Amino acid sequence: MAPSRGRDPESDSPASHVYTYEGPDLRGHAEALAARKAQFLQMGGPDRIAKQHAQGKLTVRERLAVLFDDASFTELSLLAHHQSSVPAMQGKVTPADGCVTGVGRIDGRRVALIAYDFTVMAGSIGMVGELKATRIRELALRERIPIVWLIDSAGARIQEAAGSMFARTGDLFREQVHMSGVVPQVAAVMGPGAAGTAYIPGLADFVPMVKGTSHLALGGPPLVKAAVGEDVTAEEMGGSQVHTSISGVADLEVESDEECIRIIRRYLSYFPSSNLDRPPIAGSDDPPDRRCDDLYDVVPANPRQAYDVRAVIASIADHGEFLPMKPDWARNLVTGFARFGGRPAGIVANQPLMLGGALDVNAADKAARFVWLCDAFNIPLVFLMDCPGFMVGSAVEKQGIIRHGAKMLFAVAEATVPKVTVVLRKGYGAGYYVMNGRAYEPDLIVGWPTAEISVMGPEGAVNIIFRGQIEAAGDEAARAALRNQLVAGVREQIGAHIAAGWSFLDDLIDPADTRSVIVRGLEIGETKRVERPWRKHGVLPV
Amino acid sequence: MTSVIAEMAANVWRVLVSQGQAISAGDTVVILESMKMEIPVQSPVGGTVRVVAVGEGSVVQEGDVIAVVEETSGDA
Repeated sequence: MAPSRGRDPESDSPASHVYTYEGPDLRGHAEALAARKAQFLQMGGPDRIAKQHAQGKLTVRERLAVLFDDASFTELSLLAHHQSSVPAMQGKVTPADGCVTGVGRIDGRRVALIAYDFTVMAGSIGMVGELKATRIRELALRERIPIVWLIDSAGARIQEAAGSMFARTGDLFREQVHMSGVVPQVAAVMGPGAAGTAYIPGLADFVPMVKGTSHLALGGPPLVKAAVGEDVTAEEMGGSQVHTSISGVADLEVESDEECIRIIRRYLSYFPSSNLDRPPIAGSDDPPDRRCDDLYDVVPANPRQAYDVRAVIASIADHGEFLPMKPDWARNLVTGFARFGGRPAGIVANQPLMLGGALDVNAADKAARFVWLCDAFNIPLVFLMDCPGFMVGSAVEKQGIIRHGAKMLFAVAEATVPKVTVVLRKGYGAGYYVMNGRAYEPDLIVGWPTAEISVMGPEGAVNIIFRGQIEAAGDEAARAALRNQLVAGVREQIGAHIAAGWSFLDDLIDPADTRSVIVRGLEIGETKRVERPWRKHGVLPV
Repeated sequence: MTSVIAEMAANVWRVLVSQGQAISAGDTVVILESMKMEIPVQSPVGGTVRVVAVGEGSVVQEGDVIAVVEETSGDA
């Protein structure tokens, strides 16, 4: 022990214990840090990036560059990586732990992001990645800003997660439920979304899927083979075509990653940052009082002739712009976003081209979901009614048409946003109610001169009321002649001038004035406040 | 050759073209009937009708071919 020369005479520490700093200077630290960050920005490395590109996908960082306004993204925990001590994870480097998180701006407004990186262990959810995602969900809710997930993930990282530690997981979905209707939630499927990551879109408001590269399923093909013995590809089971046209899980099929990102930006442009705000009003040089003369040639006056209601929407909306939701599923009903005089609105329109515009179980589901979405975020609703009613028969009863129809009725009755209803032609039976008829608190309800409102269509009514008379009329030709005469008589009774005469419709309008009337209607409801009895929540028919 | 496809299950109510007939893009090929509603089906292209695959009173399913039109060059 050498004699002490330290500052503390009582200490027996040798002088050599005085700390001598031999590390780099601060500049050196900064350079080393930059190098480490640069390495982490390389994601899973050149080979995996090449593979990602070969599949027609952008990398997660290329996606961010398109998603956010220039240089507006602040990343949280780029330097995160897995901390697992299990043998299967040793020697693995997982930049950002395969989950890029942060906050960026879209059209100047803040948006929280969780984006899975398929080049890092197939974008699997590891423990650190999930800690990062939790922080972002908390941030989005605290700041009341929208949250966007870019899904490109094999699901839970089995190497880390196998075992009953699973007992304390699952927060992500509970938190998503609590965020629902508070902040907008977008989950874009831009690759696989297996098991754990399949419920994220399941609970989100808006789900675009990229054609050819994305799929969603609770179990991937190997699991399905083992569990139920089915041989099926990921694409057949949960590709974009399945989910946008058959299951109704997803909202839009898009052609590419770039289009997917553009659609996310466009979707959010209709939404406030949270349910505490109003939707942003866009500048519009499309005159609110623009007449829509083309409608005279779009909609046939003959109620037997079909037309494409999307042409009506294109005519009346600002600049003809419309963002459809679920356009390939339940095509007998059209839902989506447009603007009127710059003001965003959700449109619910019957589509006479499909099933004559009649409502079935899927159309009712689609409508209910869309109305709840708009109502949650203060987006006014515009109903374009041409509906012969709900489908009838044993097939739809077995599908639960009463349950699903009740769901649509429930959503429409519950909605307290400004509501404008235009009856173009038919408003029959419960179809008139669920398309926001007079009893469902429209701020303005108008009809075209062709509007017909009745408990049922004239043909059906005649067959019930005058059955005996028709049967007694003689031969087939005589019966047909009498039936036609009676139908014309009933048609006279269900014309909208009677409903307008009773003041049950606020006005009958020239079809060419539809746009300006909708703009006026939305203005009437601008400060709408509706008080309902307190309740925890209704008992939803689903 | 371009196929005119049924967008939905429906009855074929009227067939308005015949084999060999020259038509323009947008011409109505058949009128379907579904839920008491007449639904015109137009040809996306102009040309000569080569095949009429349905008859009045027949039933089509979604995706069925209604007719096949051979496009006239320069007319698109």
